Amino acid sequence: MKAKLIFVTGGASGLGLELVRAARRNGHRVICTGRRGAQDLPVDFPDIPYLSCDLASEDGANKVADWAIQNSGGQIDCALLNAADGYFRPMTLETPDAIMRVLSVNLDANMILAHRLYPALSGGHLALIGSVAHKGAAGMPVYAASKAALDGFGRALAEEWRGRTYVRVLHPGPTATGMAERAGRRPNAADKLFLAARPMAQAVLDAALATKGRDRQVISYGRVLFNPARWLRKGAA
Amino acid sequence: MARVLITGGSSGLGQALVAQCRAQADMSVCVVDIAPPADGASDWITHDMGTRDADRWDALADALTTQGPFDLVVLNAGINATGRYEQVPLAAHLAVARVNLLGPMRLLHILLHKNLLASGGRVVFISSLSVFTGYPGAASYAASKDGLACLARSLRKPLRKAGNVSVQLVCPGPMDTPHATRHAPEGARADRRIDPAKVARMILAQPDRRFLLVPGAGARMAAAFGRTFPQTMTRIMGKVLFRKLT
Repeated sequence: MKAKLIFVTGGASGLGLELVRAARRNGHRVICTGRRGAQDLPVDFPDIPYLSCDLASEDGANKVADWAIQNSGGQIDCALLNAADGYFRPMTLETPDAIMRVLSVNLDANMILAHRLYPALSGGHLALIGSVAHKGAAGMPVYAASKAALDGFGRALAEEWRGRTYVRVLHPGPTATGMAERAGRRPNAADKLFLAARPMAQAVLDAALATKGRDRQVISYGRVLFNPARWLRKGAA
Repeated sequence: MARVLITGGSSGLGQALVAQCRAQADMSVCVVDIAPPADGASDWITHDMGTRDADRWDALADALTTQGPFDLVVLNAGINATGRYEQVPLAAHLAVARVNLLGPMRLLHILLHKNLLASGGRVVFISSLSVFTGYPGAASYAASKDGLACLARSLRKPLRKAGNVSVQLVCPGPMDTPHATRHAPEGARADRRIDPAKVARMILAQPDRRFLLVPGAGARMAAAFGRTFPQTMTRIMGKVLFRKLT
């Protein structure tokens, strides 16, 4: 497979970090942004261009877009817009600031990046990383709504950009990234059923780079455990 | 006396809802709208649902506290931005997301925190048929309405359990409103759009309080097809709508 230039948001931890690692393992060139400072990255973080930036503001999203265009030379083969924030709590326990933050990071920033990166994505792939919570979740209504909005956004954009840029909305199933705990969810027995982050990232990356397949896909147990691309690629996870 | 709160009451479906509520002797209505009242009505709160200014939301919360609790809340205010996604100014897309999704979330948060939802009451989310069909040519609008529909689904059980408040999701197709006329493709037939007064009557009547309401037989057929064949439906929308819009 020809090496591609892959741009990842939210690549400092969780699924984003595994996406970065999977892309590097597959021989791609990766540029990545995340909220963590460079000094707080894992010790084994790959030696790749990295920008520390919070996507919760329009300025932050525009800064990331400028940086991605500059560091890609204006041609991005695949943008994996993965950065997300969210809290596992009912609406009554939400705060106005948290509601704004979740919508800013999970929806507004992705809308800004898609708009700004449109020229750079010509002939490439845009993958919006959603969540299976987009169908509705009483325990995290704001996060779920933000992911549903991302799904509706990508659904429309996939049709608008068809023939020019492959747009996919990929909804990973429950994955052991630690995000659920960071979002305030108490660990329980169901955690044992969570999919490992590494094969999930590989399945998401394969779906993002595929030129065939549905615009909106759930990447869960079946896709991760029986990922056909995994068997076709030498040295894959 | 049933107290009704309606967002976006100056035009279209909201205007029809306000008119029908005012015509009923057992209903008192409170309107939240970005525009001041045309007739100087005292039951009107001027507020931009897309604002991110905390002070303005605090002011709205104070104003609502004197009007509630509400037996019926209709989250109706909405705007659109149509055209090729990359050619529509980003500010317009962000405004759509904020008015149509952030605004209802902030308002619901206020209503819950201030105990302004009456026990046995109802919250109606005005979403769109685009939830079932997709809406190429209005990507930010489609996003906001999908988000709103998901919010309704997520809050259905918690609101029922916590305060015996029922939640309803309304997904109308194109209505004969100034909003639809503004964003429809050139030459689109207005006589095929549903009358907002009819939709308003259906919302206010709702004797069985079913969760999902898709007004109109044509819209229900489109919703059923979109549910069964989502990608095919969006491709059809691309051909019959997006190409005409751009």
